[in-house]
Amino acid sequence: MEKFVYIALFAPLAGSLFAALFGMTPRKIFVGIVGSLFIGLAFVASAVLAYTLYTTGTVVHVRMMDWIQAGDFNVSFGFVVDQISVTMMTVVSLVSTIVHVYAIGYMDHDKSFNRFFSYLSAFVFSMMILVMSDNFLGLFIGWEGVGVCSWLLVGFWYHKADKTREENPSISPSWAANEAFIMNRIADLGMLIGIFLLYWNTGSLQYDEVFAQLPYLSETVLVGAAIALFIGAMGKSAQFPLHTWLTDAMEGPTPVSALIHAATMVTAGVFLVIRSNPLYSMPEVSDVSFFIASLGTFVAFYAASMALVERDLKRIIAYSTLSQLGYMFAAAGLGAYWIALFHLGAHAFFKALLFLGGGNVMHAMHDELDLFKMGDLRKKMRGTWIYMTIASVALAGLPPLAGFWSKDAIIETAFNEHTYVLWGMLVLTAGMTAFYSFRQVFLSFHGEDRHTPLGFHPHEMYRFVLIAMSPLAVLAIITGWFMNSYKAFIYQIGDGVQYEMSEHTHHLATYLGLIVIFFAVSGIVIAYLKYARTGEHAFRRNEEKENGFFYKLLKNQYYVPKFYEEFITKPYMMISEKFWTEVDLKIVDATVDGIAKFLYSAGDKTRSMQTGNLSNYLNWMAVGAVLLLVIAAISAMIG
Amino acid sequence: MIGLTHYLIIAAILFSIGLAGVLRRRNLLMLFFATEVMLNAVNIAFAAISHYYNDLTGQMFAFFIIAIAASEVAVGLGILIVLYKKHGSLDLDDLASMRG
Amino acid sequence: MENILSVLVFFPAVAGLLGFVVDKNSIRTYGITVVAIEFLLSLWLWLGFDMANPGMQFVEMIPLIPDMGISYYLGADGISLFIIVMTTLMTLIGMASMGETKNIKNMILSLLFLEMTMVGVFVALDAILFYLFWELSLVPMLYIVGAWGGPLRVYAAIKFFLYTFTGSLIMLVGMLFVAYIYHSLTGVWSFAITDWYALVLPVNYQLWLFVAFFIGFAIKVPMFPFHTWIPYAHGQAPTIGSVILAAVLLKMGTYGFVRFSLPMFPDASVLSITPIAVLSLIMIIYTAMIAYAQKDIKQVIAYSSVSHMGIIMLGLFAMNAEGLSGSVFQMLSHGIVSGALFMLVGMIYERRHTKLMSEFGGIAAVMPKFALIFGIMLMASVGLPLTIGFVGEFLVLLGFYQVSPVMTILAGTSIILGAVYMLRVMKRTFFGPLDNEENKKLSDLNTRETWSLIPLVAIVIWLGVYPKPVLAPIDNSVKALLSFMDEKAITQEAKDLIRLSNTTKGGN
Repeated sequence: MEKFVYIALFAPLAGSLFAALFGMTPRKIFVGIVGSLFIGLAFVASAVLAYTLYTTGTVVHVRMMDWIQAGDFNVSFGFVVDQISVTMMTVVSLVSTIVHVYAIGYMDHDKSFNRFFSYLSAFVFSMMILVMSDNFLGLFIGWEGVGVCSWLLVGFWYHKADKTREENPSISPSWAANEAFIMNRIADLGMLIGIFLLYWNTGSLQYDEVFAQLPYLSETVLVGAAIALFIGAMGKSAQFPLHTWLTDAMEGPTPVSALIHAATMVTAGVFLVIRSNPLYSMPEVSDVSFFIASLGTFVAFYAASMALVERDLKRIIAYSTLSQLGYMFAAAGLGAYWIALFHLGAHAFFKALLFLGGGNVMHAMHDELDLFKMGDLRKKMRGTWIYMTIASVALAGLPPLAGFWSKDAIIETAFNEHTYVLWGMLVLTAGMTAFYSFRQVFLSFHGEDRHTPLGFHPHEMYRFVLIAMSPLAVLAIITGWFMNSYKAFIYQIGDGVQYEMSEHTHHLATYLGLIVIFFAVSGIVIAYLKYARTGEHAFRRNEEKENGFFYKLLKNQYYVPKFYEEFITKPYMMISEKFWTEVDLKIVDATVDGIAKFLYSAGDKTRSMQTGNLSNYLNWMAVGAVLLLVIAAISAMIG
Repeated sequence: MIGLTHYLIIAAILFSIGLAGVLRRRNLLMLFFATEVMLNAVNIAFAAISHYYNDLTGQMFAFFIIAIAASEVAVGLGILIVLYKKHGSLDLDDLASMRG
Repeated sequence: MENILSVLVFFPAVAGLLGFVVDKNSIRTYGITVVAIEFLLSLWLWLGFDMANPGMQFVEMIPLIPDMGISYYLGADGISLFIIVMTTLMTLIGMASMGETKNIKNMILSLLFLEMTMVGVFVALDAILFYLFWELSLVPMLYIVGAWGGPLRVYAAIKFFLYTFTGSLIMLVGMLFVAYIYHSLTGVWSFAITDWYALVLPVNYQLWLFVAFFIGFAIKVPMFPFHTWIPYAHGQAPTIGSVILAAVLLKMGTYGFVRFSLPMFPDASVLSITPIAVLSLIMIIYTAMIAYAQKDIKQVIAYSSVSHMGIIMLGLFAMNAEGLSGSVFQMLSHGIVSGALFMLVGMIYERRHTKLMSEFGGIAAVMPKFALIFGIMLMASVGLPLTIGFVGEFLVLLGFYQVSPVMTILAGTSIILGAVYMLRVMKRTFFGPLDNEENKKLSDLNTRETWSLIPLVAIVIWLGVYPKPVLAPIDNSVKALLSFMDEKAITQEAKDLIRLSNTTKGGN
């Protein structure tokens, strides 16, 4: 089995290096094809591993080589393929393969086509390290690796100039890339601290060894580690207050948004919490876990509210990603780790599909993303319309599509844990989710044709791209049907991830499900009435409402980016300038130069003694002699 | 009875006179005289202390000083004459070519 | 093999003397050949080095002034071995990539003499010999900055010289005092560092001596607030000068702490953990912020050097094997990465004769190779895992966490602030629209430049993925150093703070 582990891990790297060979040459279509084949190979290997694990239940654990050894510290490159990591591996490699194929079509006209594939495959490699690693530091390699690849890919169109925030909320691709990297770094510091804490208290960083030590650790250490690791997760998974980078990251090419900022990288934080489930299930850290659940719920609601008024197609999907990540954290925080993981997988499929469909629209509309400039696209882009509708239904959580099963389970968990406030908010958010996702579908594909008058002539995407997307559509529909077999699969891992609803909840399950469906359907109906109709009831912009307080508040993302700019970025720049010009040059350096100048001017001043007059010299000599005598006398008296 | 102290007082007075001359006088020739006075003050002290301790080393040293003073005057006066010929003055304030 | 250290020290100097008669047109080839042979010699040293032996190897000892106990005494251990290899490597690469053509002969001869003094500092085991090489290293550097530098070169060169010279004089007083104590305790004079190690000094003596040595080393490192000579030196020095300065000369200071301060004054070192950590934190955060405010790319890297040296200083005083090994490793990593960054800045300066970020923008489009290598070095500089920069920085922070979690969190901001100023350079120089006409004509790296950078890229990745060949010998020597300090320390507090091994609570 080791062979498959290494194939799954290194095939993407090989693909990336292969593409890098052609990185500075003009577009070569085979680079994309070979890249996709390598990722496909990784998917096959992952699938084989998953199947073997499913049938035999044996966890594969390989240790490749030493990495860092100093003092007692010893970390090696080790990989573990268990139920959790194999789920991630399969999801990641599958979505990656599809996105790679998709990108061959989407990046067709880009002159940096080869470079793009090099970065994209490097990302998959980093993600594989992240999920497969058997220790926290290995996870950290992947963690930083995906960060860098995300930086490269968000800033892929680096040549675009900075704009004002009013013109483009994300300013520019290179700005968004830096924002994403730096914000993640802030969180990474938290994660590093968690790693230090665990190392000094358990003597190891390997998952199994660390988790075996957990019962012997003090409460402070457990809580500290749980908080620190979660801070790391907050950055990668864009939880409040480190969330602003995710929407700005939409500046990257759409395949990147689909792969990195929807399906895989942003779920790394959720993965970390699931991976560390023994830590987060400790009774001592129950407060931290509850905080995670509450924050997740809050973010689910918060992000959904911003999506309600957004006009930018990609940013809506980004908000929905944020919101769904909130759902996952809610489940993980409440202890339903396997449900979180299941939602993670299902979400990856339908969200990637949604993004890729959005990419098709963007491609057709020549990078125009404003929903108000679209409308009635379904006639020209039938395939994309179908895909987007499937994905939106899945996202809205209507049975029997994937989103229903996983999201409903999360909401049910909140009920089961008697956290009714969370439950209420999650149900409400489910309604909002249905509303904004259908608002987006109706505004772009239904209603009145607003794009032809503006001179757009949309056309459908290449056929092979649509075909490549079909597995995602199928999975977005059927994933939910396998929830119970997945449950059996993941339960093999042991007590940690098992979670069952109580008898009482079980009893009420149908009603709870119906409530969720009711909210979701209402959302869709409202969206339909407002946006989908033509003629007399057709959608018209309402200036008055758009200038209202709430609308503006939501539109400006609660002024959080503005706040960061005014209270963090600008003061930091100002203090830095001051440190340089006022402190370093005028105090520290001036002191040094001052000493030098003092010595110099002292010499200059005393030079006047050198009159050349022998008589003066003799006088000074006498003064010196007297001084020496006095000193000698005094020291004789004292001594 | 005239004792060591008296001699030393005389030597100190003479030395001070010489020192004052060295500090105050501007004429080089006068400086030479003042230096001679100081040297002789030291000679008196040497001779007196030598006698006091019954040790001839001091008196011998005084002779050395007399010899050195004589040769110094010889060389110094020579230089003074050359200086006077060159500058027409022996005033120190006029001779400040070493000003820094 | 017995005399390899002498050969390493004097080969460049002898070759430098012979170089006076070499023709001006072939001096470049001559110089590169010499430093290449020197590099191979250092590799041979590595090859012959017994990795399992943590003590001094290849020891040579010839008494020079036996009455005063001054001798020609050389030796290398795991800590100095790799600094020597890094020194010869960076000299080779710096010289090979050098674009300077003015007075090339003088430049190459200066570099050869400089190489002698640098290697000499790292192998000297006699304090007087150490001091000699230490001071001699200033002379060629003074000349390099003063003769080939920018408009303010004379000011910068004199400032560099006088500042470091003042510090080392105080250090010299410290050395003489140690020798005096040694004499009064044992009745014989000795300047051999290994003899001095045996001295057990009272704590107040240790403190005073620690301060004397500290001033000498701290100015060289340079520690806050003694760092202000470095922006001038880097700002004015020619590329090769900055490369050598950042890669090697700064390491002399931190090496001095390892060679003198820690083993000779263990109690004083433990007592000064907090003040030094505070200074290091200021270096890390304050200079990172200053780096962010810079307009000149080279100045950003100069200040970032100070910030990274703060990490190294922090690791030295972590008093455990993780931190100390990480710190020594970080010296190598910083040498290679900052050297490469200075070379890269030099390359762009040769093309455009400016280093101001505002003059650039979008040049990734015309110089993709340059942008790629700059990007790799940038990532190494901000400590990305699997690059050389991560290993050292991680170990230092890990080690210091044991001393003080709060200070480690503050020091950890270096991974954020480092990214902030480095990414700003990247964005303003390489990204954005290419709208300056001058920049549209820029040519990408030529063969000479590419091939002088590729070895560094290879090392950055190799040692990031597999640091063991370098880290293991360092770790060996560091462990020996720590157990020596523990044995020697006289106060219980110091013994408690020096952590040998098995200190993790769950460890077994």
